[in-house]
Amino acid sequence: MVSSNTTAGYAAGRGDAPVPKYSTGIAKVVNSALYRHTLGAAVESRIGRIILLAGVPLVWLIMLHVGPIYQMLKISLMSHYPVLPGVESHFTLDNYAIFFKESLYFTPLIKSFIFATAATAVTLVVVYPVAYYVAKVVKPEGRSKALLLLLVPFWAGELIRTFSVIMLLANRGAVNVLLREIGLIDRPIPMLYTSFSLGFGLVYLICLYMLLPLYSAIEKIPGQYLDAAADLGAGPFTRFRRIILPLSKDGIVSGCSLVFLTCIGVFATPMLLGGPNTVLFPETISGFFHGASDKWPVGAAFALIMLVTALITAGIFMRLVGGKKRSAF
Amino acid sequence: MRNMFADAPRTSLTAIYWAFLLYLLLPLTLMMAMSFKDANFVAFPIGDWTLDWYAKVMQDKQFLEACLYSVMIAAASTLAATTLGTWIAMLIVAEGIKGQVIIFALACLPAVVPGMISAISLRIFISTIDMPTGTAAIILGHTVHAVPFVVVMALTRLRSMPGNLVDAARDLGADSIVAFFRVTLPYLGPALVGGMIFCVLLSIDDFVRTFFLGGYRPTLPMLIFAKVQGGMSPEINAMATLVLVVTAAVGLYAEYMTRRARTR
Amino acid sequence: MQPVVQFDNVTKSYGKHVAVENLNLSIEAGKFVTLLGPSGCGKSTSLRMLGGFETPNSGRILLGGKDVTRVPPNKRNVNIVFQDYALFPHMSIAKNIAFGLELKGFDNQHIHRRVSELLELVQLQDYAKRLPSELSGGQRQRVALMRALAPDPEVLLLDEPLSALDAKLRQQMQIELKSIQEKTGKTFMFVTHDQEEALTMSDTIVVMNKGRIEQMGDPNTLYGRPGSVFVANFIGETNLLRSTVVGTEGDQAALNWNGVTIKAAQGGLTPKAGDHLYVVLRPEAIHCSAAEPESGNRIKGKIRQRVFKGNHTSLSVEVGDGTMLNALVHPADVSQLNGEEIWVGWKPETTTVIPDRHAHN
Repeated sequence: MVSSNTTAGYAAGRGDAPVPKYSTGIAKVVNSALYRHTLGAAVESRIGRIILLAGVPLVWLIMLHVGPIYQMLKISLMSHYPVLPGVESHFTLDNYAIFFKESLYFTPLIKSFIFATAATAVTLVVVYPVAYYVAKVVKPEGRSKALLLLLVPFWAGELIRTFSVIMLLANRGAVNVLLREIGLIDRPIPMLYTSFSLGFGLVYLICLYMLLPLYSAIEKIPGQYLDAAADLGAGPFTRFRRIILPLSKDGIVSGCSLVFLTCIGVFATPMLLGGPNTVLFPETISGFFHGASDKWPVGAAFALIMLVTALITAGIFMRLVGGKKRSAF
Repeated sequence: MRNMFADAPRTSLTAIYWAFLLYLLLPLTLMMAMSFKDANFVAFPIGDWTLDWYAKVMQDKQFLEACLYSVMIAAASTLAATTLGTWIAMLIVAEGIKGQVIIFALACLPAVVPGMISAISLRIFISTIDMPTGTAAIILGHTVHAVPFVVVMALTRLRSMPGNLVDAARDLGADSIVAFFRVTLPYLGPALVGGMIFCVLLSIDDFVRTFFLGGYRPTLPMLIFAKVQGGMSPEINAMATLVLVVTAAVGLYAEYMTRRARTR
Repeated sequence: MQPVVQFDNVTKSYGKHVAVENLNLSIEAGKFVTLLGPSGCGKSTSLRMLGGFETPNSGRILLGGKDVTRVPPNKRNVNIVFQDYALFPHMSIAKNIAFGLELKGFDNQHIHRRVSELLELVQLQDYAKRLPSELSGGQRQRVALMRALAPDPEVLLLDEPLSALDAKLRQQMQIELKSIQEKTGKTFMFVTHDQEEALTMSDTIVVMNKGRIEQMGDPNTLYGRPGSVFVANFIGETNLLRSTVVGTEGDQAALNWNGVTIKAAQGGLTPKAGDHLYVVLRPEAIHCSAAEPESGNRIKGKIRQRVFKGNHTSLSVEVGDGTMLNALVHPADVSQLNGEEIWVGWKPETTTVIPDRHAHN
């Protein structure tokens, strides 16, 4: 058991082989009176086991996964919040009505949807060939490396990635300077603080959420299917359209849903990359919680409007493309 | 003989991959390069190079405090999220419990709700329970955000676990609690380490929840956000570069850990 | 003598499916007992109930005279060797074996002594520090066995532990298991669907079918005198001849099979003329010859198929109304059976009879 020379020599000197440590001390804990009368007793009964297993998780899930959404719903139906002394709050739907009355509020939501949809579509088209390349063209032993390279920017985080886009697109950023150096332009093209920079930034921010689901879906397609199709006379395009695309549908559905839902909830990027014409809905909502026009019930109502429309959109998309009901995972 | 057309899709896919990688890395590379610029405005070309900005950042008390604060929040929320996520995953795989699909859906809810709405709802929630904005609120928010990811990672690992390992432990005299700590938890180990590192990155990166739940003490993303809005300077680039290098190193380590777990 | 394990009218059902029905079974200490039966016969459920992983719907299970029906697995003194071993992948071999000892509260010195002793018993001393993934299938099997033996259980339960091994290793392990059982003197309760395994190792075989015990006995009895058609078919290869009793002569019965009179040992039955019985005729009891045998039972037949099996040849012989008999012939005798037409003969004392439960008389 102990075979190295040093320990054997040591043991010989002592005349007794050193005993490996088996005890982790758990027996002491389990056999202590305190344990036996509390946890030990609880775990022996069915009810005790269920409480130990389900108590904390259920309280957490109901309190903190459902609670915030529920409170948001509750407050969105109140006329006043936070309730001040002397002011009575009553049930109202006005907070929702405001949204439909004012185009000032309506337009940002539409814009949010347009940006999120466009970014999702562009990301899908751009990332699909990349995911396909890594999953099917790269040899199996090289795949994790090829994937790892793509993951590096993912570790930079939302804010740093957004910030780095400014380096590229600013008036004295890399693109403008390069174009001027080679004499294509005299004056910098204003790219930052426009719809373009915002779209570019969004795609840059979220493309990896698309990559991973697509990659894992495409990777699962057995290579023999493609060989069989080729053997039956299908060219590259037919193979893609008739085999790879339908079989990677799951990845497309979950990737698109994930990207869309992330995109629509992005807060910092539009504020840093967008301009006055690209006020998106999160910024609108934020206004009700910060600053002078502090109206929480309206903000809560708007957040709910956004949540419901976003989930419905994602749900419709899943139904249309996926055909089956699925979660975003 | 291979013909040219058969290889065309392959070649163009390779080109697309490298172009995409270039697209991913270029902005970050430019950002890092700019941190060495020997001038106090952000513009290309870089011209003279310097390390002064790093020296300045390293002496910036505000930055160092924000780092510490972010790490503290990340550690606390990771610990909480890992515990809760594992616990929920154990409930989901438990036998003889009904409604596991609903529990799973509830567990995943915060990952499906867009970030902005999650932040707003948490802001409202802490106000309804009279919790002040600040450190505790941020930790709570980050924990809610991270739990679904831990649940999914722990579930994947738990489902690959031979069912009779726990039976064997029980057979040899362990009660359910001992069996969990001596057998299930060590089995989950590698997946949980990967999950924990992911939680840390999630917390350190998070801006929107921190923005709504935080007090006056800035975390790293809040500090960078404030500085960017306040005007460009290579100092921000130096800060961002430092953060990027550290988080990327942590991320690489997580990747290494999860890969090792898979091959075991 | 007090039985070490006693199932007392135990029934276990899952919804409408009855897995074990009114099981009554007593097991003597120090025996190697095998529960044998096809999948779904209730043998594993019985084992899991004894281990504490399932609770019976009704009835009692006694262990060493004490009622353990509702005692959880960690509180009862039996240990299981699982089908795929269930070794803890993150613990070394030694720690796996030490697990149960530690939870019993033994001190480190005692645990160490016991672990070393057990590792020595299966010659795995040099592997103490290895992880289970670094061991071969047979070695894992031994470790699982030692881990279950370590806490000194009253009964050791083995749930098809050999099914993951290849044929050669399985045979080797059968012998080793039996010798370990003899060395330790423990009661082994072994579950398998493999009749050969059961015959090789067991002191007692309990044949189960559809949640009930079909027959219980030592291997010789079960093979030589099966009590039912199911047992006859399940244990070894059998030819069954459905016959009608004509009369009895001493301890033998005279029967009519398709117009041929054959004799068979009564096997403890008291047949009356007119009863329908099955004659159990093992393939190796048959003697094939070109000429008509002078004594014993004999039927004329035609060879339909010869299959060479190395140490013997298996013949399919068509007799009477088209029934196929399976016979084993020694290679030296095959050369004499050139023609298609042969005689099938056997001695009456090598056969036994089984009542035909479906017959109405």
